[in-house]
Amino acid sequence: MGEEEKDKDKDKVKAKKDKAPPKDAILIEQLPNLATPNDAATSTTITKPPSLRIVPPLNFCPVERRLYRSGQPSAINHSFLEQLNLKSIIWLAIEDPQDNFLRFIDENNINFFYNLGYDSIDSNSWDGLSESSIKQALEVIADEKNHPLLVCCGMGRHRTGTVIGCLRKLQGWNLASVSEEYRRFTGVRGGRILVELLIEAFDVGTIQIDKEVAPDWLIR
Amino acid sequence: MISQGDQLLDQLRQYDARKHQLRSQISDPQLNSSARRMNEQTQTQTIPINTSLTQYRYSTHTYTSLKIKDDKPHYVPPINFATVESNLFRSGHPQPNNFSFLKTLNLKTIIYLGDKTDNYEYYKWINDNGISFRFFKMELPNSFGIQHEFNDQVALNTILNLLLNNVNYPILIHSNKGKHRVGVLVGLIRKFLQGWSMSGIFDEYGKFAREKGEGDMEFIELFKPILKIDLNTRPNFVRLSNQEEEEELE
Repeated sequence: MGEEEKDKDKDKVKAKKDKAPPKDAILIEQLPNLATPNDAATSTTITKPPSLRIVPPLNFCPVERRLYRSGQPSAINHSFLEQLNLKSIIWLAIEDPQDNFLRFIDENNINFFYNLGYDSIDSNSWDGLSESSIKQALEVIADEKNHPLLVCCGMGRHRTGTVIGCLRKLQGWNLASVSEEYRRFTGVRGGRILVELLIEAFDVGTIQIDKEVAPDWLIR
Repeated sequence: MISQGDQLLDQLRQYDARKHQLRSQISDPQLNSSARRMNEQTQTQTIPINTSLTQYRYSTHTYTSLKIKDDKPHYVPPINFATVESNLFRSGHPQPNNFSFLKTLNLKTIIYLGDKTDNYEYYKWINDNGISFRFFKMELPNSFGIQHEFNDQVALNTILNLLLNNVNYPILIHSNKGKHRVGVLVGLIRKFLQGWSMSGIFDEYGKFAREKGEGDMEFIELFKPILKIDLNTRPNFVRLSNQEEEEELE
């Protein structure tokens, strides 16, 4: 691209920027601006991050308040997980979790929901989750007394993605945003169409939400 | 009754098996026709075992198309929307079709890092909902990325200090695409307020940016903020250094 063309482009961008406001418009500078930092008098000054760092598990991400997703945590992630004060963990993989993960669950008195992904003797790790597994997982999520809750599988990609995708559908999200979120965690090889089909075909009408026990972000 | 999702899984599983079968035939060109025929025979012999099993499980009719309820979605979140921590959210620039979703977050503060000043419909919505709005003007040096200049460093320091006061929550932080500028800010939160390892921070940055930022990760690594932390008003997710741990290290 030549210099002249670049300049033209810049002009175009500028013309777009300077679009005249409508008559009764509120300008960006006129918006209420009430957020404040802490009172300097009562605060301590900190310039360094904590020296002992915590390491998030593979594909870790908060989903909603007190609901998290990830791949299988290893020993290095335990101090990170302790920060979350987990009450329950949903394990979606067919394979058994590692011993140190089980020990962590045991030592911290965490409710462990497992065998959800294990549908029959001929289940394979690459098969999708069955509808009954998804439903079971969503029922656990829909009960706030299980929170703080971590949903995880081996890599935190497809099985976890299926359940979280169906949860988003239950929350009333549009499918494009659900898919965008799912693909964020699938790595360079991308999403599986099967998983997206499962989410698309999933009938949220079959899930009963008990408003008495559901977290507030699920009922709004 | 077999549910539609389970049927779907089973059909795809069968389709997959068939595909592998075909592939194994094609991949062996040495096979002469009679051997191939024999191969087919042995395969047709092995198939019934599987199908009888699945037929036993799924004796109802086979779906040839998907039945999908045409539920209208209630909410459209802004692009690149995600929860960072309880009551702290990140996204790209909200559009009018996102307003009903944003309403559910009960936002008290919105922080915008960017250069656009003509989304009047959005400003009207913010004003109508009584949300506090902080605008930090950040011009873009190239097409993306944080400018490593004094202005931007001051802005980021100010934002981090706003995030340290729990009176301001729930907060949404957004830029235009929710990739680079917000990615840097979230990286700084993870590092200074929560003490995440850099590897975890870079991983999270990459999930949202999906491309290399112009020195964004270096910026997260090298930036030195001055934070004012009040123990009484800090948000729950802020993790401070344990004094004993620090001494042990020194």
